[in-house]
Amino acid sequence: MRRKFMKKVTASGLVMVLMMTMLTGCRFGFASDPDDPNEEEKEVPIDTSVDTFEYDTSLSGTNITLLNSKAEIQVALEAMGAEYEKKSGVHVEVMPVTDGDSPYTKVVSLYNSGTPPTASILDTTDVIALAEEKAADLTGEPWTEEAEGYLTEIDGKIYSFPLCIEGRGIIYNKAVIEEALGEEFHPESVTTQSAFTDILDRLVEAGIEKPVSVAKEDWSLGAHHLQYIYETYEGTSEGAQEIIEDIKAGKVDLDSYKRLSEFLDMFDILKKYNVAKGDPLGADYDEMAIDLADGKTAFWFNGNWAWPNLSEAGAEEADEYGFLPYFMNDDKSDFANEQIQASPSKQVMLDGQIASDKEQAAAKEFLNWIVYSEIGQQMLVKTCNIIPPFKNNPYEPSDPLSADIYKKVHEEKAFNASAIVPNDHWAVLGASMQKYLAGRSDRNELTEDIQKYWDEQE
Amino acid sequence: MKQTTIGGTKRKVTNALAMAGLIIIFIAYMFPFIMVVINSLKQKRDIIKSPFSWLFTIKGLSFDNFVKAFTQMDFLNAFKNSLIVTVSATVLVTLLAAMLAYYIVRHNNGISKLTFALMVASMIIPFQAIMIPLVSIYGGTLNVLNHRVTLIFMHTGFSMAMSVFMFHGFIKGNVPMALEEAAYIDGCTHSQTFFKIVLPLLKPIISTMVILNSLAFWNDFLLPSLVLTDKKLLTLPLSTYSFYGTYSADYGTIMAGLLLCVVPILILYIALQKQIIGGVVAGAVK
Amino acid sequence: MKSKNNGKDFCMFALPGMFCFFAVVIVPFVYGVYLTLTDWNGVAKVKNFIGLKNFSGVMKDGQFWTSLLLTFKYVIFVVLIVNVLAFAIAYLLTRGIKGQNFFRAGFFTPNLIGGIVLGYIWQFVFSRVFVSIGESTGWKLFEVSWLSDPTNAFIALVVVSVWQLSGYMILIYVAGFMGLSEDVMEAASIDGASGFVKLKSIIMPLMMSSITICLFLTLSRAFMVYDVNLSLTAGAPYGTTEMAAMHVYEKAFTSRQFGVGQAEAFILFIIVAVISGLQVYFTKKQEVEA
Repeated sequence: MRRKFMKKVTASGLVMVLMMTMLTGCRFGFASDPDDPNEEEKEVPIDTSVDTFEYDTSLSGTNITLLNSKAEIQVALEAMGAEYEKKSGVHVEVMPVTDGDSPYTKVVSLYNSGTPPTASILDTTDVIALAEEKAADLTGEPWTEEAEGYLTEIDGKIYSFPLCIEGRGIIYNKAVIEEALGEEFHPESVTTQSAFTDILDRLVEAGIEKPVSVAKEDWSLGAHHLQYIYETYEGTSEGAQEIIEDIKAGKVDLDSYKRLSEFLDMFDILKKYNVAKGDPLGADYDEMAIDLADGKTAFWFNGNWAWPNLSEAGAEEADEYGFLPYFMNDDKSDFANEQIQASPSKQVMLDGQIASDKEQAAAKEFLNWIVYSEIGQQMLVKTCNIIPPFKNNPYEPSDPLSADIYKKVHEEKAFNASAIVPNDHWAVLGASMQKYLAGRSDRNELTEDIQKYWDEQE
Repeated sequence: MKQTTIGGTKRKVTNALAMAGLIIIFIAYMFPFIMVVINSLKQKRDIIKSPFSWLFTIKGLSFDNFVKAFTQMDFLNAFKNSLIVTVSATVLVTLLAAMLAYYIVRHNNGISKLTFALMVASMIIPFQAIMIPLVSIYGGTLNVLNHRVTLIFMHTGFSMAMSVFMFHGFIKGNVPMALEEAAYIDGCTHSQTFFKIVLPLLKPIISTMVILNSLAFWNDFLLPSLVLTDKKLLTLPLSTYSFYGTYSADYGTIMAGLLLCVVPILILYIALQKQIIGGVVAGAVK
Repeated sequence: MKSKNNGKDFCMFALPGMFCFFAVVIVPFVYGVYLTLTDWNGVAKVKNFIGLKNFSGVMKDGQFWTSLLLTFKYVIFVVLIVNVLAFAIAYLLTRGIKGQNFFRAGFFTPNLIGGIVLGYIWQFVFSRVFVSIGESTGWKLFEVSWLSDPTNAFIALVVVSVWQLSGYMILIYVAGFMGLSEDVMEAASIDGASGFVKLKSIIMPLMMSSITICLFLTLSRAFMVYDVNLSLTAGAPYGTTEMAAMHVYEKAFTSRQFGVGQAEAFILFIIVAVISGLQVYFTKKQEVEA
């Protein structure tokens, strides 16, 4: 009995010591490396000295909620909300959508519980599903003028605020390519599929056996890869809509649809040089970032959202990373071979059903504050690390991937097309793409799957 | 501790074999948990690059993840919330379920049978199927979400069926009617009989149910996420939300956060283990 | 306990527990069943009664039936392995072996790891540990990640579920063994009964109530598998490991067919209810009363 008691005391003592060390942040064993990429977490300074934004003082004291489905900017949004509260007196509560929940599920359950968020950051398809029933009409809001070309209209009305531009393509690590080839690499000089294959072959010769990383995740394959067949139809959202309607109506024969076979040509190239070729469905997302940063690979198909992963893998902001287009063919005049896809991705929708007039007004002011106030503009870009879709925002994102997208958008080297597909498109056809990637199905079967998917849609 | 050693070399051989098998299985069971412990001390890059490398071969090994998890989770507040919810719900469900199960075992009437059948059936309702109806009733109609009491009540209701089921089986098998009859002859009322005679006999199953239920309440994510949105009320699992990104997760911090969350449960388990053993002595009295 | 104040007993002993249960489980469930008969999509203000149209939607959803078939296969493996393993381990852990408390704490740990960490750790095991074993030994079995092949991914799901569920069932079996009086065990040994005979004729019948419970719990949990499915494979590779519960959730929220999803959940419930009802009925018959 006595010994047991002693044991208990020792055990609780140990737990206490553990807690104490944790609390004091005492280091254990080795001192950390100052060059360690994980060390930083620097605060980007925001200049709050100038603020010409006109606040509506009658809104002070209002509480609004913002549902955030972009988890990586949760902390940044909270900071932004706090700053806005300081100036306007409006309290912004940022609610996260968490692990395992989709934003749509969360919004639906919140509407059912009678406490919907005043504003929600959602995907475009979610906004379309909810707009008519729930959303506040934002047509004519001041910021709409600054976001020309990036607005989503539903029956001629605007129900959502485009929060950011995201772009995707083949990410390259310039230093790795230059070191392997022993010459300068000019990404803009690569404008055709065969030029791209040529570089790949030379990299293989230079010792980088499998220079490309292709993620196995269904959202990457089903949405980011496959949707090129709609988006490159003519490089616009309207065009994407048109081709989707035609496929659905059976007016387009997928077997002879040029963009599909071109897309598969490119996909086959990526497949051939895939670092995980032996087991493409065993590839690990986080490892791909490390491979690219370390130079085991030179290319990774992904978007500017991959920066946090690369940064954790050891990439520095001064390093040269950028995007190549998803080459569709050997035609130099084809826009798809020189432009990358970039379009608004997350939308803010305001509740028009349950929120009071005051709450709606406060939420609208918050959106305008993001677009027009000096502080909001800075925080959107610097704190949230977002590529702003607003013309009047003078700030540029600092990480190389976003900076490259930003540059391409402004040089008209990007096409703004987003295909609005049913919400399960990525999941259903992502599975078909996985099958194709793993070599368990051929082009015919994949084409049939795509056709079947669209046939089943009403 | 009780030792059941019965002689014979054959027995010793089988014992040794069983022991060896047990140790192998044991390691397999422990492995993931050990991985969590080791990796909670590493930085993300090291976790991905060399998840299995032993502690001291990695540089920059530190308690940083714990510090980060501790502060970002607002640990003390979340701990307090989790504690209030788990303790209240566990006490409530254990007591109510024991009483209800006792009633059902001793009253073989229509209501008992129907309730028991419904409970057994209800355990296989997929939670996803009642998630939306649940929030529309309690949020949309009654408007009582965002209170701890609501969460405690719901936890109690959801785990009632399984608890009753477990108590029912135990009472039927291990509580002899004779003892109760003797108590009635001595002039005990029903509640006196229950609390003084029956409840002490239930110790092993109570300990088991306390562990199972508190474990479920402590770690539950989905139900609290539907009921609580107010930051001040968040429980421990809810408070780890900020470690998850859309395209990447902060694994080191997640694992540190996980360990911080489960330490209290481990302590509870080790404490209650003695109760389970103590229960054997009580059971032997019969 | 048969007496006049039956009503008072009922109010005191049964009512509070029943109230919680009915208010939280039964009422929402009934409401949920009603929703399957409407065209409500989860957000609309109006709900139109459409009869059994959602159920005919279920009939047309081939993927649901495929996932259900896979779930059956999975349940059979999981229920058998979990119960045999947990029973054996619990038996060994209550025989007074050295360090048994330590062992028990170890077997308890699977209960502590849930959610994304569970999936992450096990993905490591299958895609890295096994693959690196494969690389160094040249064994074909471990050449590629188990998670990229439909059959192996299924096995992986079973392995992880067994690991997780048996951790839970060990607790219940241990409590069951602890509930057996030492007299019974000793008497059995003195009678010269040993090994298998003892197990079959003395221990098993006395453990029947624990077995009923564990069988039932594994059965229902295996049918409802969602967390492990989502965090380990998420249906991959190419949708071949999507189990029923996950499909139902995807249908309701990813495919946005709320009514059909709700109806599928209801059908799943009926199937599981029938199967586990039968199981409880048959195992209960075997139980010995004290």
